[in-house]
Amino acid sequence: MPGFQKENGLIERVYWLIRLRWLALAGVISAILSTKLIAGIQLPFRALYFIVLALAIYNLLFYLYLKLARKRLFSDSGVIVTRVTNIQISMDLVFLAGLIHFSGGIENPFIFYFIFHMIITSTLLSRRESFIQATFAVFLFMLIVWLEYAGFLEHHCLRGFVLDDLHANRIYIFGVSFVFISTLYLAAYMASSISIRLKDREKSLKEANLLLEEKDRIKSEYVLRVSHDIKEHLAAVQSCVEPVARGITGALNNAQKDLLDRAVERTNKLLFFVKALLEITRIKLSKDISMEYFSLKKTVDSAIALVEEKARVKGMEIALRMDPGVDMIYGAEIYIEETIANLLANAVKYTSENGKISLDIKDRQETLLIQISDTGMGIPRDEISKLFNEFYRATNAKKTVREGTGLGLAIARQVVERHKGKIWVESEEGRGSTFSISLPK
Amino acid sequence: MAKILIIDDDPDIVEAMKVVLQTRDYKVISAASGEEGLKKVKADKPDLVILDIMMEKDDSGFDVARELKNNPSSKDIPILMLTAIKEKTGLDFKKEAGDEVWLPVDDYVEKPMKPEELLSKVEKLLQTG
Repeated sequence: MPGFQKENGLIERVYWLIRLRWLALAGVISAILSTKLIAGIQLPFRALYFIVLALAIYNLLFYLYLKLARKRLFSDSGVIVTRVTNIQISMDLVFLAGLIHFSGGIENPFIFYFIFHMIITSTLLSRRESFIQATFAVFLFMLIVWLEYAGFLEHHCLRGFVLDDLHANRIYIFGVSFVFISTLYLAAYMASSISIRLKDREKSLKEANLLLEEKDRIKSEYVLRVSHDIKEHLAAVQSCVEPVARGITGALNNAQKDLLDRAVERTNKLLFFVKALLEITRIKLSKDISMEYFSLKKTVDSAIALVEEKARVKGMEIALRMDPGVDMIYGAEIYIEETIANLLANAVKYTSENGKISLDIKDRQETLLIQISDTGMGIPRDEISKLFNEFYRATNAKKTVREGTGLGLAIARQVVERHKGKIWVESEEGRGSTFSISLPK
Repeated sequence: MAKILIIDDDPDIVEAMKVVLQTRDYKVISAASGEEGLKKVKADKPDLVILDIMMEKDDSGFDVARELKNNPSSKDIPILMLTAIKEKTGLDFKKEAGDEVWLPVDDYVEKPMKPEELLSKVEKLLQTG
């Protein structure tokens, strides 16, 4: 169980506990102040403030401990974190008992605030631990009540709030204790029941998710195999047909050449598609892609070189603006180059003649921002969210340019995500698009 | 005329390359496996080896290339590898520690190779080699 809790961010919940404690402190201070200033009840305020101060120091120290030990706690299987949480909750119970003692003991309705600790324990820890904490709370409560009743501890009466001194009233003590104890155990029982059910559901969801991932992997392997085999055959077909079409094996008449050229062209398109499919499947299946430091500057230049000719034919130039100082980054060079070239090629493809295309590389401290902008046809607003899906092509793109695999942007997304970066697009139909990639340095 | 050895287990690709290469009067021989290829390098002493990566295993070609380059009698024979650059540097093959030239080939060409590209690469390698 501890491992499971750790996966669910038990450490984060300990931070949550710290934040809650600050909130509780503020609540306690305002309760004390209103008792004093508004209700005018006399209590040993110095003792109460002392407890508040101690609680604040304890919370601060605990926060610092967590910060320092965070790394160790993360590598821990959850045993330490669970123990720390248990100790904290017990400490909170002691602090609350102290506050209750100095502010009326059994007369103070805030005794029911122990219920919150029960709920918190049940959500964070096991049912057994919740019952142990409930028993500890009951013990503290009974101890105060008995010590005050027997006169071993001074009772501070909430005069003005209660009509009569109640700490020695046996019937009152019996009644309140019964309600208090049953409330605590019931709260612990109910909250842990809910929490157990939630955890079970979470677990089965996680299992279902793993199963889906496994199925997806099997599917990808299948696609990889099939597209690989298709590519092998296609490559052989193309290798045999192309020399003939080029006239290497002898002169052809016009009809022969025309038909063979068509065959070569279609085979090329199919090859292009199969290669893209292979590539995206390969990235998906690979556990890690090999990365090293490389010069982004050089990569950008070669990406531009790949599309320059196509841009020139359409009367466009690619305007490159790069922040000074941008150079080495950590990543898979050929994939980054291909991604940039791919986005540039799209910009050229979907922008009419004499449009403008720019490539901006911006230095953003922790990250690098690569932006490819065009003045092309843009993307319909309601299609933007689907644009990076496999095989998706925007309706206006399909209408204008028939050919396209719908895989380019999906590959780009895979590549960028493998670099722990982000890719997104801003676009206005008819005005142009800006694709942005942010990569960690 | 220069002698070229094609090591590839796909007979159709071998045949197509032969046709293209023979238009320039190269003498072309072939081997259908890495093992056969290594034998033919010893026996026939080709001036250039065209080597496929994926044969019996996905990376058989790598082993053949390493063996050729580690052997003093064959280390000067230029190797043209048939592969995509992705397959060469991307996901499937990792640099090995201590491998200074981790991919010991002189050039590569992706399948299906364009006839002109194949011829120009072969010509270039034969001149420098």
